[in-house]
Amino acid sequence: MIIVEPKSFEEIEQMTKGCGRLLVLGCETCSAMCFAGGQRQVAEIASSIRMSKKMSQDQTEVLDDTVARQCELEFLDHVKDKVAACNTVLSLSCGAGVQTMAKMFPDRRILPAVNTKFIGRATKRGEWMEMCMACGDCILERTAGICPVTRCAKGLLNGPCGGATGGICEVSKDQPCVWQEIYHALKRLNMLHYLKQKPQVKDWPVHPDKVVRKDLREVGAT
Amino acid sequence: MDNTTHIEYQDFPPCQMACPILTDAREYVQFIAERRFEEAFASIRKLNPLPRVCGRICMHPCEIACKRGQIEEPISIAALKRFAADGPWADHYKVALPGKSTGYKVAVVGSGPAGLAAAHDLALLGHHVTIFEALPVLGGMLRTGIPAYRLPKDVLDEQIQTILDLGVEVKTGVLIGEDIKLSNLFEHGYKAVFVAIGAHEDRKLGIAGEDEIEGVVSAVSFLRQVNQGENPEIGKKVAVIGGGNTAIDSARATLRLCADAVYIVYRRSRKEMPAEEEEIEEAAHEGIQLFYLTSPLEIIGQDGKVSALKCIKNELGEPDASGRRSPKHVPGSEFAIDVDMVIAAIGQVPDSSLLADELELTERGNRIHLNVPNTLATTLAGVFAGGDAVTGSATAIEAIAAGKKVAISIDCYLREESPPTASRTEVVETKKLPSGVVEKTQKFARCHNISLPIDERLKGFDEVKSVFSEDLAVQEALRCLHCGIGASVSTERCISCLNCVQVCPVGAPATTKMGEINIDRFLCQACGICALECPVQAIDIGLHPRGELGQQIKKAVSMSEDTAVVGFFDYQGSFGPDDVSSLKKQYPGIAPIMVFGLRRVDTSDVLNAFEAGADAVLLAGCPSAREPFAAASSGVTQRMAQAKAVLDVLGLDGRRLQIFDMPERGLVDEEHLTEFMHTIADLGPNPLR
Amino acid sequence: MSFRESLESGKFLVTAEVGPGKGTDVEHLLKDADIIKNRVDAVNVTDLQSSVMRLGSMAFSHLLTDMGIEPIFQMTGRDRNRLALQSDLLSAWVLGIRNVLALTGDHPTMGDHPHAKPVFDLDSVSLLEMINKLNSGYDMAGNELKGVPEFLPGAVVNPGADNEAALDLQIMKMEKKIEAGAKFFQTQAVYDIDLFEKFIKRVEGFKVPIIGGVILLKSAGMARFMNKNVAGVLVPTPLIKEMTDTKDKVKKSVEIAARIVKRLKNLCQGVHIMALGWEKTIPAVLDQADI
Repeated sequence: MIIVEPKSFEEIEQMTKGCGRLLVLGCETCSAMCFAGGQRQVAEIASSIRMSKKMSQDQTEVLDDTVARQCELEFLDHVKDKVAACNTVLSLSCGAGVQTMAKMFPDRRILPAVNTKFIGRATKRGEWMEMCMACGDCILERTAGICPVTRCAKGLLNGPCGGATGGICEVSKDQPCVWQEIYHALKRLNMLHYLKQKPQVKDWPVHPDKVVRKDLREVGAT
Repeated sequence: MDNTTHIEYQDFPPCQMACPILTDAREYVQFIAERRFEEAFASIRKLNPLPRVCGRICMHPCEIACKRGQIEEPISIAALKRFAADGPWADHYKVALPGKSTGYKVAVVGSGPAGLAAAHDLALLGHHVTIFEALPVLGGMLRTGIPAYRLPKDVLDEQIQTILDLGVEVKTGVLIGEDIKLSNLFEHGYKAVFVAIGAHEDRKLGIAGEDEIEGVVSAVSFLRQVNQGENPEIGKKVAVIGGGNTAIDSARATLRLCADAVYIVYRRSRKEMPAEEEEIEEAAHEGIQLFYLTSPLEIIGQDGKVSALKCIKNELGEPDASGRRSPKHVPGSEFAIDVDMVIAAIGQVPDSSLLADELELTERGNRIHLNVPNTLATTLAGVFAGGDAVTGSATAIEAIAAGKKVAISIDCYLREESPPTASRTEVVETKKLPSGVVEKTQKFARCHNISLPIDERLKGFDEVKSVFSEDLAVQEALRCLHCGIGASVSTERCISCLNCVQVCPVGAPATTKMGEINIDRFLCQACGICALECPVQAIDIGLHPRGELGQQIKKAVSMSEDTAVVGFFDYQGSFGPDDVSSLKKQYPGIAPIMVFGLRRVDTSDVLNAFEAGADAVLLAGCPSAREPFAAASSGVTQRMAQAKAVLDVLGLDGRRLQIFDMPERGLVDEEHLTEFMHTIADLGPNPLR
Repeated sequence: MSFRESLESGKFLVTAEVGPGKGTDVEHLLKDADIIKNRVDAVNVTDLQSSVMRLGSMAFSHLLTDMGIEPIFQMTGRDRNRLALQSDLLSAWVLGIRNVLALTGDHPTMGDHPHAKPVFDLDSVSLLEMINKLNSGYDMAGNELKGVPEFLPGAVVNPGADNEAALDLQIMKMEKKIEAGAKFFQTQAVYDIDLFEKFIKRVEGFKVPIIGGVILLKSAGMARFMNKNVAGVLVPTPLIKEMTDTKDKVKKSVEIAARIVKRLKNLCQGVHIMALGWEKTIPAVLDQADI
């Protein structure tokens, strides 16, 4: 899932100064799961902005709503009338959602209410870990399902740097050395020889990247 | 999860399931917790015409089923019923009036709980009811069997009067079967008859000396005399044989009639004793000596009068048909108890001999045979029967249930409609809570009503138990675990974020493989943590749904004129109506909103209050020791810190929002409140007003 | 004799290390280098050591060649992608630089520009592979070079790994580096000789010269700092005590270093003395160690 974190209210308040009629729009997939874009957060932010506007004698209205995912044009279609009725939308979605909004509504200002952090998972309540950098060339089969590209601070592909102390990474001092984790995992699976494989060099993708599946496209065309 | 029990729990909480008349105990307990006593009484009274009786002598199967019983002790449901029914607010209750007259006359034979309940419900249905009672007094076993120290006569009189006030006629001293035959009643214009003659004949002991020696009496006749104030002659040393409530009643009555020593002889162990636990305890407490695992062998007489009871010790063998282990004599363990009176209380059977020529009786026990058990119809057309006369001696609430059921059957019969076929499902035992849940749930000791001191009790037949004080009743009611009105998920809104799974202290939400969340209604205690933490507001709690709070906030702000302070106060604190009224008097600007734990208040609720123009918001939470779970209050501080931060950014000042810990007694600490109100005054009115 | 010839001759090697500073002032560094010129086989020049922005390794390495000192050009993958790394290597060659030490490099967060974008397009192993490829006349993309360098690639190993997994991983990576073309290894500072001996026993079979690292202990405080902050370095307590007890820190420091060098003589093919500004004491260390 895409992990996002809410921007501070200060930042949101600055951003929305003089924004005119505003729609606070939640995104109830990844963002909601990160407690940053669900109905509950929408209610909180909308109320806060309404107060902020009143404080500065700004009479413009604040509406609120949520959609299942802002990165889908089809879902955004459901709020098009509300968006049309506003000058600005404060999107509680990840970067993909904000940009989809901007594409769908090119003559409206779309403001981001969250910072998009990474692809990851909730490790415990209120804590999320980056798990995947979407490097486009998965090597997890060699590393016992533990990604060194993402979880080694230097993204090393051929073993650790030697900077770990007591099994802890010298860069991210709250994280284990991922190469030691890979070592233990491979050992458990009796696959340590994978570590001795030919040196790896990663071929980096061109951004913005694109996935084109001819097989699917052809079916879609009929 | 077993399918059938699941459906039952969907419908009713365990306490309600267990009640023969499906009293919604959860509802009235909750009303009491919220100090809505009049509503509590209404909730009880709408189903039960004898609430003050049941509040005292009901065997309360609801308490046996109560989930709280698995944590420490069940909710004192019966005592709470008495509290609700005894209070002055009960007088304000608007009694339901009889419906439009149907013109049908119905005879009810017997004025015990079955007859009274039937008369009540039939009268409400518009029928003309006449009760025929063999004795000169009404109430059946309630009057003649239960001593006044458990059920005072004036209470019973008052309860019966409310039924008679519905226009029910009474004919006392009429013995049906002898004075009038059942079938003759029809000639007198009665279109239907309900036979509820009870079980007033004691079983014989079946031991030597029983019939010929003077000083051997049956419990029923003994208690009947006692309860009619006849002061029967008693011995100095009395042995009561039996283990039911009648045995205990007899023993305790004897003690009050100044016996020197009273013994109860029971053939099984304490565990198997059918009498109510509390009754057994009280009996022992009053000085009655209990001989368990003891059977009487022979009554020994001297000069034709009882001089001793020869007994033998038992041990328990294999369980019998009733599931209880049957006693076996231990050879050579005979012993004698020195007594001059023996009371036989080993169970009662109906005295149905006078009806035998008109109704079919069971082969054993002289019980009236039902032709259609579902409608309580007998073999004689238009004659129905219920209560102890059909079941053998059972409980008052079962008799009331029969009376209520027969009212519907008779009504259908008279209207020539087919009776409802739906019968209630078997009462299932309350499921077992996982040990982890028992461990995590905060323990709250059961409240007990005050009992008369022993020496006061033994002076006469004054009621032993007093009614709960308001505070105690509220405290006891707050122990309720709110079975079945907890969290439910809207599958339409749920995004399967698993947050509820993580925050639930009892592990009630479970996931399916496809990502759906199901909340186990049995496990859920309606604490509300998950509902508040749900990022998409997909969860709501049956007990005070979220929507109510928003409306209350708007109303609270709009109603205040001067300073508007929205005060969220926790029901779980210990305070009285005086505390609320004095707060209102001293600080008219504070609009109190009662919540079930501060955990029910979300950041946006507080922000909404300010948006609506509140000058300040105060939250007063009960001490964490009263929270249902140790960690229940942890989120509150976090959320309020968040709201404070927003207020600071807006320039409204976070000091307008404050959390208070409720004091030992009262709503909020006086000194801290004064300080807070000064701060608000200094900050001036909310510019958003 | 060039460093490559010395290495191949099997003689006991001595290398030292200089770290260019922040700014263009190279005077004192050149002076330090001059002091040790005749006592060492080569001098390492660090590449923005500890991720602190400094004068570059290539320029200073070139200055050393001008003085007649053979530099070991340290190159990390931290700041340059494969284009820049290959280009810089070709540039180094034409500036007379013959020896390269391939390193992954510290993370930028360790230095004074913590928010710089970390590159790490190549790590130490792939860097070595790339050097080998250049030596064979081709760049990484397989294009032929016009004019081919003949670098002597070296690498580092940290023998002081603090757990079995870390040590196993170090040794596996060492093998990978050898496979990728590393011709010599320089190690992290050695203080616990017994531990180092165990390490040497495990890698003996690789048959690649190992040059043991020696850092001059300047004070007890420095020892404690390294124990706490430098992975793989463990200064034993008796050594710390020696530094605490001494009145003449320089003398004691030299004495300890010489003792270590003496023992390393029997264990490996050379010593790499990191004097950290005390370069003038290096001759004394070597004298006392009979080198």
